[in-house]
Amino acid sequence: MKTIAKRVLAVAAAGLISVSAVAQDEKATSLDQLLKMVQQSKIAESAEHKKREAEFRRQKSNQASLLSQAENTRASEEARSAALEKKYEEQELLVQQKRQQLDERMGSLNELFGHMTSTAGDLRANLDTSLVSAQYPGRAEFLDQLIDKMNSQTKLPTIQEIERLWYELQRETVEAGKVVKFNSTVILPDGEQAEQEVVRVGNFNIVSNGKYLEMNDNHKMAELIRQPDGKYQSMAADLQAATSGFTAFGVDPTGPTGGSYLKAMIASPSIVERWHQGKIVGYIITAVGVFAVLLAIWRLIVLSGVNAKVNSQLRSSTPNTNNPLGRVLSVAEENKGVDGETLELKMEEAVLKERPAIESGLNLLKIIAMVAPLLGLLGTVTGMIITFQAITIFGAGDPKAMAGGISSALVTTVLGLCVAIPTVLLHTVVNGRAKRILHILDEQSAGIVAENAERK
Amino acid sequence: MHALNDAWAAVNAFMASGGPVLLLIAGLTFFMWTLIFERVFYFKGGLKRDVQGAVDAWEARPERKSWNAHQIRYAMISRVSEKVQSNMDMIQTCVALAPLFGLLGTVWGMINVFEVLAITGGGDAKQMASGVSMATIPTMAGMVTALSGVFANTYVTRTAERETQLLEDHLTMDH
Repeated sequence: MKTIAKRVLAVAAAGLISVSAVAQDEKATSLDQLLKMVQQSKIAESAEHKKREAEFRRQKSNQASLLSQAENTRASEEARSAALEKKYEEQELLVQQKRQQLDERMGSLNELFGHMTSTAGDLRANLDTSLVSAQYPGRAEFLDQLIDKMNSQTKLPTIQEIERLWYELQRETVEAGKVVKFNSTVILPDGEQAEQEVVRVGNFNIVSNGKYLEMNDNHKMAELIRQPDGKYQSMAADLQAATSGFTAFGVDPTGPTGGSYLKAMIASPSIVERWHQGKIVGYIITAVGVFAVLLAIWRLIVLSGVNAKVNSQLRSSTPNTNNPLGRVLSVAEENKGVDGETLELKMEEAVLKERPAIESGLNLLKIIAMVAPLLGLLGTVTGMIITFQAITIFGAGDPKAMAGGISSALVTTVLGLCVAIPTVLLHTVVNGRAKRILHILDEQSAGIVAENAERK
Repeated sequence: MHALNDAWAAVNAFMASGGPVLLLIAGLTFFMWTLIFERVFYFKGGLKRDVQGAVDAWEARPERKSWNAHQIRYAMISRVSEKVQSNMDMIQTCVALAPLFGLLGTVWGMINVFEVLAITGGGDAKQMASGVSMATIPTMAGMVTALSGVFANTYVTRTAERETQLLEDHLTMDH
């Protein structure tokens, strides 16, 4: 039962759609009413069909007259087309004639325009990288227009334009030889734009407030995010402050072709960055180096104190136990009565006791001096291993990555040598102090005892 | 004056192409040769006086036989030999350090070479060449310093040994 009702409703809905306006404002409340409505709309439809039939019949008679009208139009348009074609041919001849005339009149000028086009093209390429463009914008647009004009068949450059090309060439040459100050907008590293006084050094560099600038693609000046060494920055500031005479200034000789030297110089890492490239081995070497220097300084201070006391002991005749020599001499003092050989043995024993305190730290310094270069080598080799592992994964297609890895691996060798060299020097100095005291104890203590005995 | 300027410019150019380590090597060389000349001047001048003083003091002694005399002689020789030997360790260290400085310069230059390689990808042989000269010139300079130092050091050491030996021979014992 239910499915039948559903189907009926579906049919009714289809009928409703086709009936359109008539049934839209009336809604069927029951199935009977719906049936009635369908019948009514059928009647209305047939009436409409009849009306349309009549309309078609009426229009059929019109068709013949329309056809003849269209034929007339076609004939007239064809005539017009023929006339135009004839005119086109005539004018084509005229154009050819005129072109010939142009060629004849141009004569050697043709060659001249060829040279002008190539000159303008060269100048266009030069101006693109020229720093003078930052001072005089808009020159490239003029050259583009001129080149377009000379390449087209129908236009000729005017005298003014030719003269301006000459003027621009001359201006580029003259300006490239000048150091000038002018005001311009500069893009700062934080993205802000500021109006600043800038100094252009020929075609080589632009600086402002002691900072080097670069020209970006839109011929705008931007402050370099990384600057060259402070030395060069102060030179730039001096140049800006100078009013006459000569000032030393760091010029990038590759400036006219894009400034690759300056870029390479800026890209190379600073000393601190290099130190960090050494990574963990680098830090260990640095720590060992700092320890070695501190140890050496401490030993130097201690030994200097001992040395001073030994010196004062040498001058006095009574043994003082605050220094090694005094302690050795006091042993001799206590054993006055014994024979020479026993005394010698006793004193040797006393000297032997003093040795470790004087020599302490010396061996450690020597070991650090030897180990530091080895540690550096270790860092270099591990760095190389990492680099070559990267190559096995990513391939050797990028020499830059490999070179960068090796360069940072070598840093630890430098660090190792930088620790070893001062440590060796300090060891020599400290060892010299210790040796002097030991010499006195070893070789002279018995002599001093003998001298003291004879003096009495 | 002109020749002097030319020479100075040549030295400057050499220093610039050798990099900062070359300055250290120059300092080391200067220091080492100062010590060597100081030793040579001492051997020619002050040493004679010291030896003569020791010999005179020894000859002035009433007796040269006892245990005391033995010990005093020993101490005298030790004092003079201490003077003769002073700074010799430093000269030796400098000779040993010179090649190390050269190595430092080499590694520093190699870092520069690889850095240029990392930036340009090997396209710029000219810039790499500056790193190579920074690597090789300090090695050469270090070697030259070490070699010159080795000869001077040998001379100084042998002279010192001979002088100490001579002093020992001069201080004769009576038996």
